Amino acid sequence: MLYVAYGLFIVTLVLVSYVLGAFDLLPYDPQQINMELMMAPPASEGHVFGTDFMGRDIQSRLIMGIQAYFLPGLLAISISLTGGIILGVLSGYWGGRIETVITYLNNLVDSFPRLVLILLVIAAFKPDIYYIMVVMGITGVPTVATAIANKIRFLIQKSFIEAAIALGLRTQTIILKHILWYNCRALLIIQATLGMGEAILLETSLSYLGFGVQEPVPSWGNMVQSGANYFLQGNFWPSTAPALAILLTILGFNLLGDGLNNILEDRRGK
Amino acid sequence: MSAIPLKAMILTLLKELGLAFLLLMGVSFVVFIILYAAPGDQFSVLLEGQLPTAEARAGIREALGVATSWYGQYFSWLMSVLGGNFGTSIRTGLPVAGELLNVSLNTLYLTLGSMAVTLFVAVPIALYTSVRGHSVVIGWPLTMLGYVVSALPVFWLAYIAIYISIHSFDFFPLASMSRSAEGNNWLYTFIPVLVLGLGSGTISEVIRNLREEMSRVMNEDYVRTARAKGASVWKHAFKEGLLIPVTEIIASKIPFILGGAVIVEQVFNWPGMGRMAWQAAQDRDFPVIMGIALVAATFVRMGSLLQRMVCTAVNPQSRD
Amino acid sequence: MSQLIRPLLKIENLRTYFYARSKQSFVRAVDGVSLEVGQRETVGVVGESGSGKSIAAMSVMGLISAGPGVIGGQIYFSSPRVQRNLLDGLGNYVKIKEENSRVMEVRKDRAGWQKASDKLMGDLRGREIAMIFQNPRASLNPFITIGEQITESIRLHTGLKSVKEAKERAIYWLEQVKIDSPRLRFNAYPSAMSGGMCQRAMIAMALSSEPALLIADEPTTGLDATIQSKIVDLIEELKSETGISTLLISHDISVISRLSDRVAVMYGGAVVEYGPSKLLLDMGEATKHPYTAALLASVPSEQKIRDRANLQTIEGDVLDTINVPSGCRFYARCNKVTPEIKEKCISQHPELREVSPGHQMRCWRY
Repeated sequence: MLYVAYGLFIVTLVLVSYVLGAFDLLPYDPQQINMELMMAPPASEGHVFGTDFMGRDIQSRLIMGIQAYFLPGLLAISISLTGGIILGVLSGYWGGRIETVITYLNNLVDSFPRLVLILLVIAAFKPDIYYIMVVMGITGVPTVATAIANKIRFLIQKSFIEAAIALGLRTQTIILKHILWYNCRALLIIQATLGMGEAILLETSLSYLGFGVQEPVPSWGNMVQSGANYFLQGNFWPSTAPALAILLTILGFNLLGDGLNNILEDRRGK
Repeated sequence: MSAIPLKAMILTLLKELGLAFLLLMGVSFVVFIILYAAPGDQFSVLLEGQLPTAEARAGIREALGVATSWYGQYFSWLMSVLGGNFGTSIRTGLPVAGELLNVSLNTLYLTLGSMAVTLFVAVPIALYTSVRGHSVVIGWPLTMLGYVVSALPVFWLAYIAIYISIHSFDFFPLASMSRSAEGNNWLYTFIPVLVLGLGSGTISEVIRNLREEMSRVMNEDYVRTARAKGASVWKHAFKEGLLIPVTEIIASKIPFILGGAVIVEQVFNWPGMGRMAWQAAQDRDFPVIMGIALVAATFVRMGSLLQRMVCTAVNPQSRD
Repeated sequence: MSQLIRPLLKIENLRTYFYARSKQSFVRAVDGVSLEVGQRETVGVVGESGSGKSIAAMSVMGLISAGPGVIGGQIYFSSPRVQRNLLDGLGNYVKIKEENSRVMEVRKDRAGWQKASDKLMGDLRGREIAMIFQNPRASLNPFITIGEQITESIRLHTGLKSVKEAKERAIYWLEQVKIDSPRLRFNAYPSAMSGGMCQRAMIAMALSSEPALLIADEPTTGLDATIQSKIVDLIEELKSETGISTLLISHDISVISRLSDRVAVMYGGAVVEYGPSKLLLDMGEATKHPYTAALLASVPSEQKIRDRANLQTIEGDVLDTINVPSGCRFYARCNKVTPEIKEKCISQHPELREVSPGHQMRCWRY
């Protein structure tokens, strides 16, 4: 499906760029100022994406910008998935009071707008992206947990689990192998991709607001912010390049997630 | 129309208020814990801020015999909050509660307005693509458009809107919310609402959700019966196909919209909770941000409550 | 049947196809069905699942939504108030490519077809023709009281427009269908009522607009056995009271035999036998289509229980309506093939022929 293809393309691009950035394999130094060549449009004199208002190469800056969200994003989704799996299994498999408690916790976490909670954490502690991603991860737990709990309830309804128990399988095996691996892995992958998309949105929003990576270190969010005034004067490119990067990347992750979801549903024969 | 089931709705209201209360208690606890765990003795700063008198500000704890256990502190803080005392802002020295009241109304306006915009765009697209199931030609680009709009960073969309309004309409929309500028006043408020409505990242999900629900309902047996008896299909399908899904999805998206509001308010200088939160985070003004977190969570729960009430009013099976 | 009195409903060569998953072939759900319902008559359509009987009924009502849907045939409707061909001119929206009299390709302007069909059916649905379905609880709107659903019909299709009058009429009908405490039930929601009561309510809703034809699609399926028989009693009573004509679809032979004057037996999308129900369903009668005979033999009856006879099953699988065989559709499962006709059974599709006055059959044995 088209969605998946595009999504995978984006994900690969991000991965590759991340590695390039991590090893500093960039065409230019992202912080090198070149006052002679400011605001160059794309494809001028060796700058594939042009330069910004300080003559810095945009392509390199974009690539470096990925550093700001890549690992933290991975951290966030790992927390979401781990927490979500644990709570989801507890709630779905054992039900009863545990389920009530977990539902309460889910609703509790969902009551906070993410950004507000993060600003609270920033005010209380410090604007460290890892703290922030931990919070982000935690706020992602309810989505994953409900998805897994629903899946388990569905399996219970289909007597799938009863059958497994009747066959004498150990609870551990049932959960790990049969439920999670066979039945939930697609779901988890989808949640991971969507979660990554959200993490990127969050990191870029935060750095736009001034709370993430600080100038002159590039992050897509702060690139948009610093180019803002120039934008309003008609020099669109310094702000637009990172904005497009954000758009295309988040789009990629979302489409990947939705595309996989569609394939999953088609297979099951809606 | 069937009569509005007053008794059932009041019961639901009470039940939901109770649930909301429990959840908000939990929210306040989380907020407190974050504060308590923070480096530096934030708590006494907060507490001191809640007491107006000068002597109180100087080493009050022992003087008041404030409990030293964490749950004791939580309790006394909570009592304070419930009494309407949210402490004083570190930056301005003014009581938080007062300032919050004004700004939260502004944010509420922004939030409701942007929800209207989102629905205004999403509902027609969803209905059109669900009814015309087999004409994929127009449906696909619209869905794609929905995805793209959802992935747009809202701050960039804001700049585009500002640019357009400055250069095409000769209008500088950075709000001063001044009621003195007549005529164009509505534009000041409309543009941020428009931007947030389109850019909050929820459009594609809303479209998808509504379309799925409507398609599902259209295939229900009872809709077939309606067709068979020559009745208006829309009249029978809209309750389960549109009304309930819309309220559900909107209630669930309130947290996202509030998050988007933080950014939009900052860009447009809109005097709302979001901009105040941003300022507070920069200043480490935690009494303010704590108050904002509580109010925001309250908005979310109220939204959820309203949605449940609509559900009870419409769906006889949800009443006991 | 006197030739001068036109039948209420005359279906001629109805064909309703659906795209199979691959869109390369068709599910020939209804493949050339012809039958008639006369005035004040009940015609039963019996057959197993997949025989196309429900699809045929829905095609008459214009309720087929999947593609391509109804692609050919005529449906003549003639009541005191309306005389019309329900598929009039709809052939213009369909282009069929045939090979060896088998439909190979269909191209249909579905939007145009639907619009034209709605124009033809619009004032008939609910007013001249009413339909009731199986699964009555799912077929009633759970968000609206049953009283309101019935008055909706009444106000749409009869002269009673005022809310009060419509309500009285609705309660009258609820009494007619023998629902207990009709005034209370008027304000009840379907979720508060049992399946049997919901079916009674649906019948009330259908009859309250005083239609000329009632189409009942498996009205007893899904209900408890005891309730089933009560509903059959109810329909029998209402039939004689109102004089309404009915097209009754069911896979349950006992229901069909109790209520029908004439019966059409369907298999694989076509009618294989058609005639007076006494004739067809009588156990002893020799002239019978092999499928009908097999169906009857597989139904438990008192006699069989007494004799401790074995129930006869019909060998083989349900017909694959995608790859329809070139000969008689029932050939693969028929246990009455004789060497003389075997050739024909395999290669040629038999026509529906009259074997005695009013009795038609589609079999090479006759």
